[in-house]
Amino acid sequence: MRTVNVIRAQLRASLSLAVQYRLDFVVEGLLAILWMAVTLVPLLVVFQARQQIVGWTFPEMLLVLGWFVGLKGLLEGAVSPSLMNVIEHVRKGTLDFVLLKPVDAQLLVSLAKIEPWRSIDLFGAAAIFLYAFRQLGRWPSSTDLLLAAAMLGTAVVVMYSIAILVVSIAFFAVRVDNLLYLFQSIFDVARWPSSIFRGTLAIVFTYVLPLALMTTYPALALLGKLTLPTTVGALVGTALFAAFARAIWRVSIARYTSASS
Amino acid sequence: MRHALKAFPQLLRTGFAEAVAYRAEFLIWMFSTNMPLVMLALWAAVARSGPVGSYTQKGFAAYYLAALLVRLLTGSWVVWEMTMEIRQGTLALRLLRPIHPLLAYSAENLAAVPMRGIVAIPLIVIFLWNVRDQLGGDPILWTILAPALLGSWLLTFLVMSIIGTLGLWFESASSLFEAWLGISAILSGYLIPLDLFPAAVREVALVLPFRFLLSFPVELVLGRVDRWHALALLVAQWGYVAAALLATRLVWRSGLRRYAAYGG
Amino acid sequence: MIEVEHLRKWYRVHRRPPGLAAALRSLFHRPYETVKAVDDISFSIAAGERVGFLGPNGAGKTTTLKVLSGLLHPTEGRVLVAGSTPQDRARSFLQQITLVMGQKQQLLWDLPPSETFLLNRAIYDIPKKEYEATLAELTALLELAPLLGKPTRQLSLGERMKCELAVALLHRPKVLFLDEPTIGLDVSMQATVRGFVREYNQRFGATVLLTSHYMEDVAALCPRVMVIDKGKLIYDGSLHELVRRVRPDKRMIVRLTRPVERRDLESLGAVVEHRDAEAVVQVTQDALQGAVARALSTLPLHDLTVEDPPLEEVMRDLFAQGRAA
Repeated sequence: MRTVNVIRAQLRASLSLAVQYRLDFVVEGLLAILWMAVTLVPLLVVFQARQQIVGWTFPEMLLVLGWFVGLKGLLEGAVSPSLMNVIEHVRKGTLDFVLLKPVDAQLLVSLAKIEPWRSIDLFGAAAIFLYAFRQLGRWPSSTDLLLAAAMLGTAVVVMYSIAILVVSIAFFAVRVDNLLYLFQSIFDVARWPSSIFRGTLAIVFTYVLPLALMTTYPALALLGKLTLPTTVGALVGTALFAAFARAIWRVSIARYTSASS
Repeated sequence: MRHALKAFPQLLRTGFAEAVAYRAEFLIWMFSTNMPLVMLALWAAVARSGPVGSYTQKGFAAYYLAALLVRLLTGSWVVWEMTMEIRQGTLALRLLRPIHPLLAYSAENLAAVPMRGIVAIPLIVIFLWNVRDQLGGDPILWTILAPALLGSWLLTFLVMSIIGTLGLWFESASSLFEAWLGISAILSGYLIPLDLFPAAVREVALVLPFRFLLSFPVELVLGRVDRWHALALLVAQWGYVAAALLATRLVWRSGLRRYAAYGG
Repeated sequence: MIEVEHLRKWYRVHRRPPGLAAALRSLFHRPYETVKAVDDISFSIAAGERVGFLGPNGAGKTTTLKVLSGLLHPTEGRVLVAGSTPQDRARSFLQQITLVMGQKQQLLWDLPPSETFLLNRAIYDIPKKEYEATLAELTALLELAPLLGKPTRQLSLGERMKCELAVALLHRPKVLFLDEPTIGLDVSMQATVRGFVREYNQRFGATVLLTSHYMEDVAALCPRVMVIDKGKLIYDGSLHELVRRVRPDKRMIVRLTRPVERRDLESLGAVVEHRDAEAVVQVTQDALQGAVARALSTLPLHDLTVEDPPLEEVMRDLFAQGRAA
């Protein structure tokens, strides 16, 4: 309960902070729409030349893009700002204040700062889904939806775990804000279905940096094309990855605490 | 101006020393500039089943590698620097020095170019060598490339300076810059070669200033324009540069007046 | 060297109320108010003077310094520094002044200070000979030699301030504006900075205008002080005179060979402190002679000294008076 209250207070603070910058508030909203358009334009151009790309039709590819837009909003609106915040704490040596609070530190830092206007991305994603399914002329079954939701869960967990790993590095080498930035830019790859890549890159984006898991699998789930082994593999893999990230986080915190005493 | 020119070499030296101090960051920034490669992945997949427009798989590879090269050579980040210095109030210290702050910024940006590309540029050149049959063979075009790159950099830098100066009015003009970035990603040919757009869009994109930020030098590398057209484009580019220079002066002056009235 | 006549600097600022609801409202309606940061002040400072600029936070000290250094335009009034109008920001003007802010730095964070020196040498176009001479002198005075090669980020606050001073004085400015140059420094480093500023002033005949929270800085450095409060100049003269005017009383500190009753002390004046064999008694200027005589004759004295009240108290009283008026 206390944790919930703390998070609520933090969200409120983020919201007031965001509202304070008058121009930003309007501009950022418009920006979110603009970037969505920027993401869409290449697809529009590509599908002028082709009916299908590596087995994906335009509306099917829109589903991938929908997940991408939504997750990118989550990444840039909630995950990155909060983690930037931690990195700032580490740099200024004020993380002690966070660790002193009687709430789980990982939870506290990972929701410390959000950019509320990025929620527009979620609406944008919803709009893309609606349009895509109208184009497809059919709607996903409830099983598909359930599966997609599970895949979305794994996507969020994986993204969050990667971010936590990046921050854990911040305890050892201080200037890693750029590393987070690098991850953000690599995430751009997730806008395409993973089958676009062949050879080494395909393996990297499926297993090493599981971008396929984040957008392609949820899209396949919505289309009812996700196979059972892939689903199970994704769930197990995600659980392992999250546990790994949590373990690393704990080790880092322990090191940080002992180092600064 | 005489003083400024005299000081410029030292400004470059210091800028380079700073870039060396930030080498790790530059390396990461360099790897973050991966959008052309992301786009290349898509088009390469598309072109597996045959060329798109006048681009084969190799053609796309050449296009996006050249785009990456131009981006790394002509990029600037002065907007972020100005916004930060305005927020922290350290712009005051720059204003107290007897040299135009924008000139100092430009030296810092130029001096960092070698550091920005130290790993990537040789790699890109090697990859480009692999698709050399896609590149232009006209030495005149390659000669025009140098002033075209300088023009691209100047245009990028000046637009950034204008938006950065707007930071003296608005608390964070960097959002405005993001909008510019989004629009120019499409209209400069960064995401898609301009000649793949539908005719109507293409006609507009070809005359807007965005083309001269990136597409124009890329077209020169690929030899996709003829000599006379290239020269005309160079003149047009430098016309935009002159206009941007004028606009920068105006905005800077009135920005400074506002700063002097309200403080930083 | 510095002439200021009827200087006014007013701002219109946006009031930003706390709370989410209020912030949302201010998206549509922004209340403004006029802040009179500097409100009609006049003074003149001769070449080579060291002047302390005192006042509580927000009194207008920094605003005045920024106007004098050409960063801010006056709303009204005439300002002349080193023969130039600062707001024109002429090169010849900028070459003659410097502004050091204790809270902001011009040293490049990730490079050694020597790199910033070279940069400023180029920017101020300092001839090589002169540069080397000045640098050698500053290095000796501030003991910079071991610091110049380390990246700035690795220097302590005090070391950084010494380098900041050096880099700000490389072009041998005639006018020094120092805004809280000793903020956050420890006592010995404060003394170093003070000693250096005085040395520079004497050696080059430079004019110094200094603001500080530490009264010690002002007492040690500035024969003349100006006090500003709520944008108005409320005092301009010697520090000694200021103390006499605000607190005409003296403090008699007596040390006794054996403890005495408080009653015995109260006959001398107001007892400020009383501990066993030591006491501090506050006495008005007029009654001082009598009180000293009486103490000598009635108390078992070991030692007796007379002092001015502490500067911090003087200032507190001064601003308290300002508020009451």
